Amino acid sequence: MSVVELRDLTKTFDGGVEALRGVDIRIDDGEMVAIVGPSGSGKSTLLQLIGCLDRPTSGEIHLGGRNISRDGDRRLSALRGREIGFVFQQFHLVDALSAVENVALPLLYQSSRRAERHRRAVAALERVGLGHRLHHRPAELSGGERQRVAIARAIVTEPSMILADEPTGNLDTATGAEIIDVFRMLHADGATVVIITHDREIAASMPRVIHLRDGRVEADPADAGPIERSIERSIEQPIEQPIEQEVPDGAACP
Amino acid sequence: MGLRARDVPRLGMTGMRSRPGRTVLTALGIAIGIAALVAVVGISTSSRADLLAELDQLGTNLLQVRAGQDLFGEAAVLPEEAPGMVRRIGPVERTAAVAQLSAAVRRSDHIDELETGAISMMTAELDLLDTLGATVREGRWLDAGTSHTPTVVLGSTAARRLGITSLTGSPLVWIGDQWFAVIGILDPVPLLANLDSSAFVGAAAAEDLLGWDGKVSTLYVRTPPSSVDDVRSVLAATVNPLAPNEVEVSRPTDALAARSAVDRELTALLLGLGGVALLVGGIGIANVMVISVLERRSEIGVRRAIGATRRHIRVQFLTEAAILASIGGAGGALLGSVVTAGYSRMQEVPFSMPPVAIAGGVGAALGVGLLAGLLPAGRAARLAPAEALRL
Repeated sequence: MSVVELRDLTKTFDGGVEALRGVDIRIDDGEMVAIVGPSGSGKSTLLQLIGCLDRPTSGEIHLGGRNISRDGDRRLSALRGREIGFVFQQFHLVDALSAVENVALPLLYQSSRRAERHRRAVAALERVGLGHRLHHRPAELSGGERQRVAIARAIVTEPSMILADEPTGNLDTATGAEIIDVFRMLHADGATVVIITHDREIAASMPRVIHLRDGRVEADPADAGPIERSIERSIEQPIEQPIEQEVPDGAACP
Repeated sequence: MGLRARDVPRLGMTGMRSRPGRTVLTALGIAIGIAALVAVVGISTSSRADLLAELDQLGTNLLQVRAGQDLFGEAAVLPEEAPGMVRRIGPVERTAAVAQLSAAVRRSDHIDELETGAISMMTAELDLLDTLGATVREGRWLDAGTSHTPTVVLGSTAARRLGITSLTGSPLVWIGDQWFAVIGILDPVPLLANLDSSAFVGAAAAEDLLGWDGKVSTLYVRTPPSSVDDVRSVLAATVNPLAPNEVEVSRPTDALAARSAVDRELTALLLGLGGVALLVGGIGIANVMVISVLERRSEIGVRRAIGATRRHIRVQFLTEAAILASIGGAGGALLGSVVTAGYSRMQEVPFSMPPVAIAGGVGAALGVGLLAGLLPAGRAARLAPAEALRL
């Protein structure tokens, strides 16, 4: 069953920049997908559209089988809160709040009780291995720990999909690998995970890699027939072309 | 689906928790405005309470009748029969006449006659004290017996100027060319300071010993409160039917009322200034909130990404502005009360702070805060999540 289905999706920004020029992607429940591509290829825009943070110029977005392209703010907000967990390159934690308060934030907007929020936030932090850092402020945590807090925040609502935009971009290689391991663990537990990455090694280790270039899908193993896909997987060579070397500058989106 | 009401204040305090110093400074603007308003109201009510106490003591039903000037600018006199005529006006309850004497009051005959110490020598009718509602601090007032004898009662200021602070040792003063025994000292008479610096002798003694011609200079008239105006309108003609224009009728409390009217103007002016301070404080809050929204774009983006609706964001920033202003308002109300307390202590007037001033002050602060928060909160809410997250 598809979690996400994008049909001929385009996004043109004010000023005429065409970030996406007709994208068709289907992501199934429980998949782990990497999205790669050079700067300006539309990766972040794509992720924001999947995550209901922005609206497409044309085309359709189906989440859980329902077309959400024309939904209003309230509905989209509810969808973001319940069905989607975001992880960002810059972590985006609220500095004034402790780790557990940051993780509990999404539940705040869902009318859950304070004690309940706390309990679930603690559980989420323990799941990402930060049970010992509950009451630290973001400033008191290392980069890797901050990203773990952000991941805990993404999974606290038990969403159907986790979207991560360059989650390792601000981390050193070893820490980045640890964070990817956390995602792998979540995936193993059944979560659908979509990760944008610049890191070739990380991309190479993903079961499915979607290449974007100039707002179009350049290569997606899912587009190939099932047999080719299984062959690709069996030879453990999912990337047909080397990923463009580029500066991970955080301004990858248009 | 939505925010719980009890979570809203906590949400509104997120920004303050990260920048407590800025919170204090921002709230200070509002606090100064509210302090000014509360203090102005407090001080003016305290003064008014004092004024009302004074008015109560004196009563607004006391009229004063004095001889004015004739057509040629010469000092006029009241006809001898004036007191009797006034007493015959129906509603008049009491009346008492006083007459200015030319004699000087001195501590002894060694002191030059010109050194009067600005003490007026007066003859007073026995009813004067009751008519004025004045009280004796020590000793007693003149009576039928003592008004014939060389005895004198001193006003409070007169006594002080003569250096007579008490009646122990039976002090004497030199009036005209003989000794008078001081038998009483009065308390200050509210609003009639000229009586405080006077010395009073009985009518008979004045005539016999000081050569008084029996002409009175001032009449005090006490009427029922309801007929003050009626009595007032007929007083001049009754006192001097031939020349009513030579009679000055006044009400001592009118001066007080005029003073309070002046106070009110000043109060209005100060309230206006306080209002301006409040406005400036409100603009300060709006300003800081606008900056805060810019600084917290990514926080807004994240909150939107994790499920906050536009309304949630608006509520958060409006609440923040309201809390900021309320902190300022509460601080200002406290400061204003302290200022008022200090004033009432210094001026020796009763401390009076209407609760409505405190409530109004905090309420005004809250209103200003909400108003100031509208624009920034609206901006925050309109921020598109994708844009807010794009750094």
